[in-house]
Amino acid sequence: MNQQQSARLRTGHNPQTPKTTHPPLRPGERVFALVLVIFSVFAFSEAFAISGFKGLTTGGVMPMVASAVMVISGLVILLQSFNKSGDQTAHATGALRYLVPLPLVGFSAIVAAYAWLIPLLGFIVASGLFLFVSIWILWRRGPLVTLLIAGLSVAAIHVLFRIVFQVVLPTGTLWQ
Amino acid sequence: MIETLGFFATSWMDPGLFLLTALGTLAGIYVGAIPGLSVTMAASILISFTFKWDVNEALALIAGVYVGGVYGGARTAILLNIPGAPSAIATAIDGYPLAKKGQAAEAIGLSTTMSVLGGLFGVLALAIAAPLIAEFAIKFTSRDYMLLGIIGILLVGTLSGESFAKGAFTGALGVMIGMIGLDPMTAEARFTYGSINLMGGIPFVVAMIGFFGVAEALLQLENIDKRPIKQAVSKIIPRWQDIKRYAGLALKSSGIGTVIGALPGTGGDIAALLAYDQAKRSTKNPETPFGEGAKEGLIAPETANNAAVGGAFVPMLTLGIPGDAVTAIIIGALYIHGLKPGPLLLTDTPHLFWFIVGNLTLANLFLLVFGLTGIRIFTKVVECPRAILIPLIIVFSAVGAYSIQNNPIHITWALGFGVVGYILKRYGFQVGPIILGVILGPMIDANYRRAMIGAHQDPLQFIADLVTHPISLTLTVALVLMLLSQLPIAGLRRRFSNTPDTERTP
Repeated sequence: MNQQQSARLRTGHNPQTPKTTHPPLRPGERVFALVLVIFSVFAFSEAFAISGFKGLTTGGVMPMVASAVMVISGLVILLQSFNKSGDQTAHATGALRYLVPLPLVGFSAIVAAYAWLIPLLGFIVASGLFLFVSIWILWRRGPLVTLLIAGLSVAAIHVLFRIVFQVVLPTGTLWQ
Repeated sequence: MIETLGFFATSWMDPGLFLLTALGTLAGIYVGAIPGLSVTMAASILISFTFKWDVNEALALIAGVYVGGVYGGARTAILLNIPGAPSAIATAIDGYPLAKKGQAAEAIGLSTTMSVLGGLFGVLALAIAAPLIAEFAIKFTSRDYMLLGIIGILLVGTLSGESFAKGAFTGALGVMIGMIGLDPMTAEARFTYGSINLMGGIPFVVAMIGFFGVAEALLQLENIDKRPIKQAVSKIIPRWQDIKRYAGLALKSSGIGTVIGALPGTGGDIAALLAYDQAKRSTKNPETPFGEGAKEGLIAPETANNAAVGGAFVPMLTLGIPGDAVTAIIIGALYIHGLKPGPLLLTDTPHLFWFIVGNLTLANLFLLVFGLTGIRIFTKVVECPRAILIPLIIVFSAVGAYSIQNNPIHITWALGFGVVGYILKRYGFQVGPIILGVILGPMIDANYRRAMIGAHQDPLQFIADLVTHPISLTLTVALVLMLLSQLPIAGLRRRFSNTPDTERTP
């Protein structure tokens, strides 16, 4: 196996990735760099609001230094993105497809629903539901097999965390 | 001496600790081997479950997972051509061709034995070097710790990403996250926006679980349908003459691994790549050419990545600066248990230091046992579909984030950090510097302010202090040199990997 293959294995990326120290421009990379710069400037203004330039040992000094580093490095990243070659014509849709492929959107929605359900249904019931739905969608097997796996997993999680690790699991308001 | 031996043997004599080390090592082999699970991920989740335990029990389990995990990646690299962990990338280059020739069992046997040899070498180096460094490090002042902290974060940024700017950005972002909450010195609110939850700060374990666990799980979604290719495996005990023949190479690679592991920010993956490169240059007439199944190409990285484990503990235990992402997490575990890693750790709690040394030794011996057995079950387990694995990682991350303070908001935070980490990784950023920033940020802040107060709040005096005291001067020069030029290691690393899109964790 050559080095390019090994890198591909590591990243799970396309084998056609060119062998350069600067990878080609990713879809939406320049916009992302710009967002980082804007965020960093906002972070700096918030850091400044803590204690301003009142002294050299106030609580705001380190946040200001850190956010200043973010602003500077953000600008460098933005400049670097302009030195990269790549097609940026279809940025909006291309970037969206690159950043949030459909399975990811679906899965993230399920994860968000899971986070919302935990305080309502309690950890065990919410996890059981989450595991069933997400495994069913991702694995694409029959509901019975999926149900069995989700059930076994929840049982194992309960034994491992509640009994072995003695961790307190979140309880729900609708279901204890 | 007898007392030291007693501390060393703690985990050997106590049945509970003995069992936990064994369990940790065995679990680590699987965690390291299963693509999609990483040792960093497992260690960060484990910390949240074990923080109520006795410190020795927690460390026994985590150290076992670490040692087992660094090795585990090699098995899938050889058998399936998928390095289970970044430290096994170099292993796959010659390991898989060996398996294709029908020598999978031999390759696994050799890699196990050499991993154990490398691991023991690293632990020996830790036992010898740490007390010497700690004795020296007692002379360090606040400004030296400030400099060390900055160097630690920047080194991870320099060596682990595609550009230094990206490393610096994520490191600074981590420091910002670490600043959230009430200022410990003045009780001034920083970035809290009136939220009671934010006033307590963001627990770094929550950030770790988000950036390493959830983000990695989201990233793995694109590989969901990848199917591994099976290899037949039979007898895996290596031949004695092979071990004897490659002992010299193993020793040299162990040395490289230990030193690279000890450098803050560089872990088993860079150690393995460097050792591979070294072996390739120094082996004049290999039996089989490199890349086509050379045993030297298998042995060098495998010895080096396990030797790096012992090396990584050196700066962590003596200076409080983690050698890599997993030791950053172990530092977190020590903080949670009320211990302060640093030069005083060895004098204040020598039992803990020698316990870690003894425990790592024991974990390496377990590695030998588990590495040479159970291969048939292993091939079944690693084939666990990612479609099941990814949702399970999310559930583990949720319970891990919650259990830190029994606060459900932390689950949402961890998931949020996961999304941020995913986007950053997609754009070639590394999340390692963020975690180091979160952990070291408050330490840098406190030490900077102490040093500035020591300089009577006079910036000129502060700068003069940085260049007039020998230790501070050395560290300042190192920092300036680092900022001015990239280390040669970084260039070498880039030669090996050209698409650094994912996080490099051992």
